[in-house]
Amino acid sequence: MATVTVTERNVRFDELKLSARVFFANKTAVAGLMIFLLFIGDALVIQIAPGVLGVQYPNDVVPPQFTQTNPECVGTAPEPPSIGHLFGTIQYGLSGIGCLDLLQLVMKAIRIDIAISFFIVFVGAAIGTLIGVVSGYAGKWLDEAMMRITDVFFSVPFLILALAVGFVIGRTLLNMALALIIIWWPLYARYGRSLTLTTKEATFIESARASGSGRLKIMFRHILPNVLPPVLVQISLDVGTVILIFSTLAFIGFLPSNALVPELGVIANIGLDLAPLGYWWTVIVPGAVITLFALAVNLMGDGLRDVIDPRRRS
Amino acid sequence: MKLWIYVVRRLILLVPTIIGLTFLVFALEHVGGTSLFLAQYINPHLTGTARQKLVEELTAKFHLNDPVYIQYFYWLAAIFQGDMGTSTTIGQPVATGFVWFMPNTIMLTIVASFLTWVISIPIGVYSAARRDSILDQSVRIVTFTLYSMPVFLIGFAIFLTLGTTWRLLPDQGNVDPILLPTIPDAWFDHTTAVSYPTHILAIDAFLHGDWTVAWNALLHVILPALALTLALLAGIIRILRASMLEVLEQDYVRLARAKGVPERLVHNFHAKKNALLPTVTSYGYLVSSLFGGAVVIEYIFTFKGIGWWTTVAFLNGDVGVVMGSTFVFGLILVATTLILDVLYAFLDPRIRYE
Repeated sequence: MATVTVTERNVRFDELKLSARVFFANKTAVAGLMIFLLFIGDALVIQIAPGVLGVQYPNDVVPPQFTQTNPECVGTAPEPPSIGHLFGTIQYGLSGIGCLDLLQLVMKAIRIDIAISFFIVFVGAAIGTLIGVVSGYAGKWLDEAMMRITDVFFSVPFLILALAVGFVIGRTLLNMALALIIIWWPLYARYGRSLTLTTKEATFIESARASGSGRLKIMFRHILPNVLPPVLVQISLDVGTVILIFSTLAFIGFLPSNALVPELGVIANIGLDLAPLGYWWTVIVPGAVITLFALAVNLMGDGLRDVIDPRRRS
Repeated sequence: MKLWIYVVRRLILLVPTIIGLTFLVFALEHVGGTSLFLAQYINPHLTGTARQKLVEELTAKFHLNDPVYIQYFYWLAAIFQGDMGTSTTIGQPVATGFVWFMPNTIMLTIVASFLTWVISIPIGVYSAARRDSILDQSVRIVTFTLYSMPVFLIGFAIFLTLGTTWRLLPDQGNVDPILLPTIPDAWFDHTTAVSYPTHILAIDAFLHGDWTVAWNALLHVILPALALTLALLAGIIRILRASMLEVLEQDYVRLARAKGVPERLVHNFHAKKNALLPTVTSYGYLVSSLFGGAVVIEYIFTFKGIGWWTTVAFLNGDVGVVMGSTFVFGLILVATTLILDVLYAFLDPRIRYE
């Protein structure tokens, strides 16, 4: 018995080693991973010790008492990128509070952006996958009803649905995340269902049923572990997609001006009136940072997909 | 299965979706409470007893004191009569606003979809045919980057460069304001800036023989359409390239090559048609992004379609328009999906037997 466990463990270890080799052989995926880790690192540092990067008040666009301590900043026009301000500066609000360093704002924003995208995708995936597995395994009318419900959520363009939900439940950052979870779960319900349908027919499920396992046990002990790996890859890809959607929502002004948080789309929204006057960096810089993040995640996700696709590994 | 049986089946499947859509919009309108629901039917300037009287009338009309499922049917009756309340942003019934602004959005999305197809097919096919060539590599890098860009960045980059900075093409509104006084009252309402009969300024001006305005209005479509095309392009090229690569591995393509069919013919005649089909299967998502993208692009270019109107309404708390948009965009998306589904079944008979 003991020897069996050892070989089993060896097989698992070899599997993992092979997966790592497949992933690290893909240079672009590794580059994606490195950029992604840079973003995560920034988020962690801002969360734990913002002072290390010279950032104060990580939750505010304009630090409190900023205008009292820097009276010369009132009405200062945005400055282009330079050695002192690598990404340039931005001006905020009607009274025109200038001197806001864009690099600092971006570093603050990355933390919030990463937190929201992970929150949306994980909660959406958890709800959706669970519903998908249950409806795929149960089949019959429950499945039919579940799929018709997801149809309804797909029948409204996702951006419009997010606007409508946000309008009703209130325009705050948390509600923006909730609105996007409402849009995101049906994707995972469909995906989890289709994965369940193929897993359900496997012989090991049949033998589990033959040996008297209950429905719940089959669903959670046998089907779910087989559905999870592709779902996790999908999650890793979606983290890059969801940031594009909620930054776009923030850009068109989802958050009212009295509830501003440093978020990349919000910063671009502040720049919306400035950029046409020649201060192009106020929109392009936050947009480019979002693009870099999504690009890194997509590259990484492509590498991960190769890892779990048996046709591409050998 | 005959095509018409498939169409009938597909129509029957549509019924639960549309009922579900009405549930969704009804739920959204009522989750915010009675005052938010009534706000779309009451003029905000109305005060005092007149307001009180109107609230009572509306409460009776929508049976707001009855159970929710009864309210639903009275609400549904109002919706089917086109009564979606009054928009505070345009001071007109919401339904009138849709009639005014919808044609512009339809035109923009049709132009952008057409451009997307025309550009993406040759690029996707060529890129797959010359796999790993320098051209293929650059196509992949460009599409991958474009695919990772938020729609607002694509739109705004076009707006800033071609519009504001280089002044190549107009980037604001539907026509130059300087031309507005020259348009006769006969087919243009100057207070609401709506043209008749189609509500698309370029077409109306063309119909009335006003070439200057028609040309100018046409120029105003180019940048938004270009931005929307760029926002859609990357996704389609990626799918097309992947499916073309798969098709090129098929036995019948190998046979065609083996019997000496020139490579160019293999690509254009044997492979291309079959490579296009999988692209169509992902249109659900693509059409959804098309309309979502239209909202952002119209807002950036102040292009007066329903996307622009919805955003303005959202920002100004115009509840009737936001809810009406959810419903109307839902109907458009469902209808578009139906048309594409039928088209797909027509092109690929195998689909009808599933």
